[in-house]
Amino acid sequence: MSSEIHIPPLAPEVVFHIGNINITNTMINAWIAIIIFLVLGIVLKRAIRLRPGKLQNWCEYFLEAVLGYFDGVTGNRKKTVKFLPIVGSIFFFVLLSNWLGLLPGTGSITVGHNMLLRPANTDLNLTLAMALVSVIGSHVYAFIAIGVFTHLGKFFQIKNFIKSFAQFKHGIADGAIAVFTALIEFAVGLIEIMSEIAKVVSLSLRLFGNIFAGEVLISVISALVAALVPTPFMLLELLVGLIQAAVFSMLTIVYLTVATSAPHGAEEH
Amino acid sequence: MFLIENVYATSEEPIVATAEHTTQPAGDEGVAASLGINAQLFGFQLLNFAIVAGIVWFLILKPLTKTMEERKKLIDDSIDNAKAVETNLQMSEVKFQEKLDEAKVEANKIIEKSHTEAEKLSVDMKEKAKKEIEMLIDQAKRNIQTEKENMMSEIKKETVNLIIAAVEKIMNEKLDDKKDVALIEETLRSFRSVS
Repeated sequence: MSSEIHIPPLAPEVVFHIGNINITNTMINAWIAIIIFLVLGIVLKRAIRLRPGKLQNWCEYFLEAVLGYFDGVTGNRKKTVKFLPIVGSIFFFVLLSNWLGLLPGTGSITVGHNMLLRPANTDLNLTLAMALVSVIGSHVYAFIAIGVFTHLGKFFQIKNFIKSFAQFKHGIADGAIAVFTALIEFAVGLIEIMSEIAKVVSLSLRLFGNIFAGEVLISVISALVAALVPTPFMLLELLVGLIQAAVFSMLTIVYLTVATSAPHGAEEH
Repeated sequence: MFLIENVYATSEEPIVATAEHTTQPAGDEGVAASLGINAQLFGFQLLNFAIVAGIVWFLILKPLTKTMEERKKLIDDSIDNAKAVETNLQMSEVKFQEKLDEAKVEANKIIEKSHTEAEKLSVDMKEKAKKEIEMLIDQAKRNIQTEKENMMSEIKKETVNLIIAAVEKIMNEKLDDKKDVALIEETLRSFRSVS
């Protein structure tokens, strides 16, 4: 007689179909998060006052704590609030999704052979979507903050390359050094483009990897010993969920801050 | 379904760990598909995140940050107002103290002036009283003198009348030498005593 430990696959499992659309278990968890945010948002928006009630007080306390950390990266509150639509949404969504994955029912309720609920961030599609929003958002903010050409100039350093030819009038050696420097700067610009792709890959895989690993760990431990033993691991996963939300949002705000700051030398002119 | 490994919880009951697609070879689908990346799913998850971002920003974060900012502004304004009120109060207290000091100085001056005036008045009144007394004394002296003079004139008149009466009496009587001398002496004495 044998019992099986169901280790979740890398890809989210399709629970049912609506027409041609596959509905996965991670999407259901994301929808649950959406419903929770919607209910909280409607209740909060109705109850919001200058003299806060209990719920508003808690929300403000939590938000103030998060804003404090973000301020440490941006340097001022005004900038933090400007980035908050992206960073705040990422932080709170990742946090809630991660913690929802620890609720009873996640992994244990099955539809056919598939789990009905699975942490939303164990779906690489979602983490990739958020990473893309984060990186593309940083470029959009940069276009608005420092201008399209200034920002693109960080990656395509052609201007210095053209300018370097003018150095030949001071001598062949000076010209050659200037062209060599410009070539290196051009190459650095191209590496910067690669680093933007690396940002997306690292952000999405880090979050996916950590949450997926946690899910697998809890699945295995729960299958081995159902009672009490998984509790410390679940507490650990609570912490992991918070840390991963913080890491993702902090990196996003770092990208936003770096992207919206003028390139070296630009502020001198 | 692919078997990964057997884990034995007890010797009798083997637990079999299974995972679908976990170690499936990428094959024709490629690495992305083996990781579960799917264009349709990606699109839906992007939409999910967009909805979450919209809800979180417009229903939660924006109203909260706006309220917090309003409250901060209100508190800052209140603190500024309180500081302004405190400064005004301090200035008022200083002015009040200044006015109080001025009033004290003024009051002291008035008291001093009133003392001086009172002293002057008392001196003046004393002088006046003295003068009046002197005037009264003079008046009295003059009255006495007048009375005296009137009396003297009355006495003289009476004396003259007496002398006339005496002379008339003597004239009516026969006078001898002795009586004549006595009468003259007496008359002279009476004149002396009167004068």
